Amino acid sequence: MTELAINFPFALQGAPAPQVQGIDLSWYLALSAVLFTIGVVGVIIKRNVISMFMCIELMLNAVNLTFVAFASYFRDVTGQLFVFIVMTVAAAEAAVGLGIIIAIFRNRESLDVDDANILKL
Amino acid sequence: MNFFAVALQAGTSPDINFPLILPEMIVCGVAVLVMFLDAFMRRSQRWVTGGLSLLGLAAGAAATIWLWTRGAGSLGTFNGMIVLDEIRLSFTLVVIFVSALTVLLSVVWVEGEHLPAGEFHSLLLFATSGMMLMASGGDLVIIFLGLEILSIATYVMCGFRRTDLRSNESSLKYFILGSFSSAFLLYGIALVYGATATVRGSGVVAGTTNIAQIGERVMAGDIMYPALLFAGAAFMLVGFGFKIATAPFHVWTPDVYEGAPTPVTAFMAAGPKAAGFASFLRVFIFGFPFVGAVASASSATNVHDAWLHALAILAIITMSVGNVAAIVQNNVKRMLAYSSIAHAGYALVGFVAAGAATDATQRADALAAVAFYMLTYAVMNLGAFAVVTLIARQNDRRTEVEDYNGIGFRAPALSFTLSIFLLSLLGMPLTAGFIGKVAVFASALNVGSSAPAASSLYTILVVIGVLNTAISAYYYLRLIIVMFFRERTTEWAVPRIPASMALVLVITILGVFYLGLFPGRVLDAFKRKPASGAVTQIAR
Repeated sequence: MTELAINFPFALQGAPAPQVQGIDLSWYLALSAVLFTIGVVGVIIKRNVISMFMCIELMLNAVNLTFVAFASYFRDVTGQLFVFIVMTVAAAEAAVGLGIIIAIFRNRESLDVDDANILKL
Repeated sequence: MNFFAVALQAGTSPDINFPLILPEMIVCGVAVLVMFLDAFMRRSQRWVTGGLSLLGLAAGAAATIWLWTRGAGSLGTFNGMIVLDEIRLSFTLVVIFVSALTVLLSVVWVEGEHLPAGEFHSLLLFATSGMMLMASGGDLVIIFLGLEILSIATYVMCGFRRTDLRSNESSLKYFILGSFSSAFLLYGIALVYGATATVRGSGVVAGTTNIAQIGERVMAGDIMYPALLFAGAAFMLVGFGFKIATAPFHVWTPDVYEGAPTPVTAFMAAGPKAAGFASFLRVFIFGFPFVGAVASASSATNVHDAWLHALAILAIITMSVGNVAAIVQNNVKRMLAYSSIAHAGYALVGFVAAGAATDATQRADALAAVAFYMLTYAVMNLGAFAVVTLIARQNDRRTEVEDYNGIGFRAPALSFTLSIFLLSLLGMPLTAGFIGKVAVFASALNVGSSAPAASSLYTILVVIGVLNTAISAYYYLRLIIVMFFRERTTEWAVPRIPASMALVLVITILGVFYLGLFPGRVLDAFKRKPASGAVTQIAR
């Protein structure tokens, strides 16, 4: 992480990036890495489908944070556009995912993934 | 990716060239049309949507061939978002072929199961447009979008038999693990975007998600955060590894393939895998290219070496795990799922060869070999699944190996065609599977002979590939033996073969022998670069 915290000149397009004193890029990246890890661990240890799905959303938001942090650091719009696309896709995924979850709940009345064992893993 | 930024700064019109995305637009438009038509049509006319889908796919294929032979003025558009090269075109043709056969496979099936045909066909077409975008994306954002269009449509198709618990479970597992892997891929993209920033003069140039630009910066050693580049490449490797079902990331495959309706399984084993390979190849071979002995580019060379070795190991594990696990399966769909994992491993050998190639012709040969492999796999796999669909009957009831006991001489048309497909999957000479394997393995040996430093690696890869082919003989031949040499104890009526299914079987049988006996034309076509500048740009 020390390598990330280098300070390089901020003379891209006019004004320098508005930064909170003492909080540089590496803090944001560390936070998003922690969030992503929490999401991954959650997907692995949670047994309820809805909780697993929420952990996946957490992973996607960690990615969004990374994009926004870089975009604001570079004063570049690319990362922010990417975040819009990720959010749209996540919404579409949520719609389909909840539909699938409802279909399985109607047939089985349980959302515990350990019950999903007709097909052996 | 800086589409708007460039347009605003330069004050010019943005770089738009619609003919270049004509195939994608056609397929997407027909998908919307099918969806609308379905809403206003009576149940008895539902075959119309299948016919319309086929027409749309044929038009998409024609547009692709037109792009290949005539060109559309430039080799890239939308500021590098879409590229036109031989990988895009060959893989686009493969996925269109897969979808067209899936439509034929599903027209009768979807009626017999009392499922909404129009919805199924429009989802299939949307998935196809996603796959085509994955093959044509020159920017990570397009590849991500294509992947999600494909995945979301496929999640629904897996769970299409809503009242069947197996189908529900399959779609749930695919959904959870698919979006999990998408998140990995996305995190990799974010890290690569941050890593590829460079310093120019006194200013910092922002990172990029354009694959060609990433490749240029890696080549020049112009990377601000090499460590992040490594992490990003690793995350993307995991994400793509999930999608094409390479070995440590393959656990979802057998469950999802077994539970999904059989025509959907046929589609998933051939189409998304080919599209996944197209974007995987493009990102890693052109985004993290071979740098050679440039002194300033030590970090960048390392990223190439790292992914090449990781993929070589993945190829070995994938081939072995797929084939060994397939031996113990008692369900035919599950067995074919493990076989599809093994085939992804064989194709990865060609991928490694393409990555290791030091000159352009060798690389083009290896890339064409992978595309050709995907085509041969699509042909024989769809044929095999067509027979499995027919034997499974309604609700996929009969998919166990015992259900194939002694059907050999009772239904000779089905059992002989299935035997041909199984022998082709095994890689018997004269069939497509043999030439596919030869092309992939030969490209690996070629690369090995011209790179003496690590040539043993490629030899080992090929040797393990051939050994695995020998292992796979067990389970492919076992099914043939079960069909012909086992007694049938239970009642069994010969399934009726509808015309559309017969057409699928004829096309795939002809394909297996055509690609097996005269592969030269297709292989040469896949190597041909698209024409550029032949047509003046229309919408500039």
